[in-house]
Amino acid sequence: MTSLSLSNIKKNFGKVEVIRGVDLSVDDGEFVVFVGPSGCGKSTLLRMISGLEDISSGVLRIGGRTVNETPPARRGVAMVFQSYALYPHLNVRDNMGFGLKVRKVPTEERARRINDAARTLKLEPLLDRYPRELSGGQRQRVAIGRAIVGDPEVFLFDEPLSNLDAELRVHMRSELASLHKRLGSTMIYVTHDQIEAMTLADKIVVLRDGLVEQVGTPRDLYERPGNLFVAQFIGSPKMNILPFGSVAKALPGSPGRASHVGMRPEDLTLTDPGSGLVSGRVLLSEYTGASSLLHVELPGGEVFLVAYDGPSIEPDTLLGLTIAPDRLHFFDSDGRRTQ
Amino acid sequence: MAKTLTMRDTTDREKASWLTLKMREAMEAWLFISPTLAGFLIFFVGPLIAVAWYSLTEWNLLTQQATFVGLDNYEDALFRNPDFWHVVRNSVIFAVGLVPLNMALALSLALPLSGRFPGVVIFRTVFFAPVVTSAVAWAIVWKFLLQGEAGFINQILAQIGIDGPNWLREPNWAMAAVIVTRVIKMVGLNMILYIAALQAIPRDYEAAARLEGASGWQIFRWITWPLLGPTTLVIMVITTIGSFKVFDHIYQMTGGGPENGTLVLAFYIYQQGFQFFDVGYASALAMIMFVIVMILTLFQLVLRRRDT
Amino acid sequence: MSVSLTRRRIRLLNRACWTIALCVVAIPFVFPFLWMVSSGFKSAAEIFGSPSLVPREWQWRNFIDVFNYQPFARQYFNSLYIAVTVTTLTLLVSSLAGYALARMRFAGAALIALFLMSALMVPEEVTIIPNFFMMRWAGLVDTHWPLILLPTFGPQGIMATFLMRQYFLALPKELEDAGKMDGLSRLGVWWRIALPMSRPALAAVAIITFLNSWNLFLEPLIFVSSLQKFTLPLALSNFTDPYGMPLWHLQLAATSLAVVPILIVYLIAQRQIIESFALSGVKG
Repeated sequence: MTSLSLSNIKKNFGKVEVIRGVDLSVDDGEFVVFVGPSGCGKSTLLRMISGLEDISSGVLRIGGRTVNETPPARRGVAMVFQSYALYPHLNVRDNMGFGLKVRKVPTEERARRINDAARTLKLEPLLDRYPRELSGGQRQRVAIGRAIVGDPEVFLFDEPLSNLDAELRVHMRSELASLHKRLGSTMIYVTHDQIEAMTLADKIVVLRDGLVEQVGTPRDLYERPGNLFVAQFIGSPKMNILPFGSVAKALPGSPGRASHVGMRPEDLTLTDPGSGLVSGRVLLSEYTGASSLLHVELPGGEVFLVAYDGPSIEPDTLLGLTIAPDRLHFFDSDGRRTQ
Repeated sequence: MAKTLTMRDTTDREKASWLTLKMREAMEAWLFISPTLAGFLIFFVGPLIAVAWYSLTEWNLLTQQATFVGLDNYEDALFRNPDFWHVVRNSVIFAVGLVPLNMALALSLALPLSGRFPGVVIFRTVFFAPVVTSAVAWAIVWKFLLQGEAGFINQILAQIGIDGPNWLREPNWAMAAVIVTRVIKMVGLNMILYIAALQAIPRDYEAAARLEGASGWQIFRWITWPLLGPTTLVIMVITTIGSFKVFDHIYQMTGGGPENGTLVLAFYIYQQGFQFFDVGYASALAMIMFVIVMILTLFQLVLRRRDT
Repeated sequence: MSVSLTRRRIRLLNRACWTIALCVVAIPFVFPFLWMVSSGFKSAAEIFGSPSLVPREWQWRNFIDVFNYQPFARQYFNSLYIAVTVTTLTLLVSSLAGYALARMRFAGAALIALFLMSALMVPEEVTIIPNFFMMRWAGLVDTHWPLILLPTFGPQGIMATFLMRQYFLALPKELEDAGKMDGLSRLGVWWRIALPMSRPALAAVAIITFLNSWNLFLEPLIFVSSLQKFTLPLALSNFTDPYGMPLWHLQLAATSLAVVPILIVYLIAQRQIIESFALSGVKG
């Protein structure tokens, strides 16, 4: 069942169009992640769904209702903000209960819901504290708790982990994932971090310049990126791209319309110089513990990234690179995937 | 999947609702701002237009009628009435005396008091205390202290063999007395503005300059003073405009006298308008004051823009 | 070791010099207050006698005569209630307008801001004549209305508006968004989120507005004529004998009564008060 749908949604600030026609439908219980470089419009799109930004044109439906003109609080959505946005003058309990109080939910019902949410998020010992007395991770959980108590149809997350340190971020990521499993609600999540997107999402929406570049499962996007932008945006380190002409000879039977070919660093393997698909000279070898990342300069001047797992390689070493034919990605002159 | 939503049945409604959302925000904003805006129009814009009109009329006290006389009031002020230029001269002397004295003292106090040492808060409190005191009270006390023979100041001077003047009865001394007591009353304000500006200067600059061997004076001259530039400019303009507004202080201390020796523009407007009921002439004076203040404000804006 | 000791000694000496210099400069700032109170206790005869800070004979009577000479208690109360009213109104009006200018999108916002800003610097003297005729036309001369309306909506009120606006602009916007998500109306966001977080700015506006009203002189002088309706500054300037010469002992006693309570509050809350002026000065 469809929980939320966007049809031809547009947004302009004055003459500047920041969202240029987005269509999307989100199923009940789906975890959807909006990802894209900064300025792509992902946060604006989320704020339009929440009602904090008005919609310039198009139709937004939540739970079957058209809600373009509905005020934020009556859309059946709850939002977790990047800065958590906890009211500094209210304690945790009142922060979580504030929305219920405004909506005139009876006191006992309110207390029950706060306690339920607190139990779910292990916040019970913190209920009487003020935001300034909490750690970053605890604030984050309170912000989520505030969203939960309203029992919304859709949860909206605006880069909720970006203010946490690396370790805590990984931890909260897994907590979010398990929370989603437990609640089974629809969640829309904005991030610029593609690892977060890959690990959390049922469905990723890649945005660029106010347009959807591709929608798909993390595996789809990684294994079958729809265009050059997605190919390079998803996956770390970035996919290597070469003009098709420079490797055409070595690739008989490849699609004729292709103009670029892409190879993921982790799909490349080393061979002797001269053999393989391309050859080059090692510029730099970055040892990261689990593996190394080689920067290899090709004769044409392009620098290839290669994930490599083996004995150390000195700079200036010449080597060849090869790849399984089914791991190649072909793109036509418009940057779109062929095959 | 529901990609093909039936758009047709909602399009019209959407158009209308798009307006409502934006219009609702705008309407609420206008409601929020309406008391301020209404007050601004009633008590500022309206009177400003009225005073411009009054300044072109002759006001008859008996019939309460205004007759249009064109620029006659301005001509009166600028060419015919010697009082006007006397008043302008007084206002300029007052400003030229007050502004540099005030600013120099403010900065001299701020430099030591922007630091941290025991007693710094006490000093700041002391120097700021006259600012919160009413100008009338301050003027009453100083007028008392500056009485002719029996005044405290002159008694002290007499003890060291100086025959002090009758401060407030001699035009030049009266002007000096008004300026100095006004500076003492208001310098605290500029002092704390300077302190705030000084404390906003990163300590690293001074440390870096010290490492390069700069002396205290060199640091002030080449680092602190240029960095205070914007603050100095703002303080200068605010203080200058403030000096044109001074009324209560002079009213209480000298009443504009002696021999109109401390009659400044703000006082002159009050005198002409509310003591002599020459509404047209007083309005022309008010317009002149308005123009002076606007020029000073624009001057500051231009300089500030050039700075950034 | 010895070098560092000398250095420390130089620093101490330096500081001592500074402190003494500051103490000397402080004399004309402190002495008038002391002399005012001391003279308020002196008899009419002694007041121009010896320059002694301690009265020969403490004339407590002065402080009773002040109230007999004119309705000083009533005048005191007038100042107090007018200042409180102006402060309350200004807080309300300026924080509403400041919020709209800081946070709401509407056509003409920039123009209105510019418009209001132009009035910031204009002295009351410029518009006082038409304002007088308007008040007379409205039958409000010799009432307290002009003393409430003009400061609330005049340059002082506009300065408060911009002070509030600056403060609102610096508040985290997401908190207000959270309020909207929680179901608050615009008015609700303003009242329950923006205002509680703006206490320093509200305090600054309150302090400056109160003092400004308390010390207001030109408007009372022009609009109020009956003794019963005088405010303090007007009352203070009114202690004269039938020939118009000041009755110094009464005038100074009354001035002490007007100034000392404010000074006491100032001494208690000096940090807050000084910061308020710094905030308004920097922003304005």
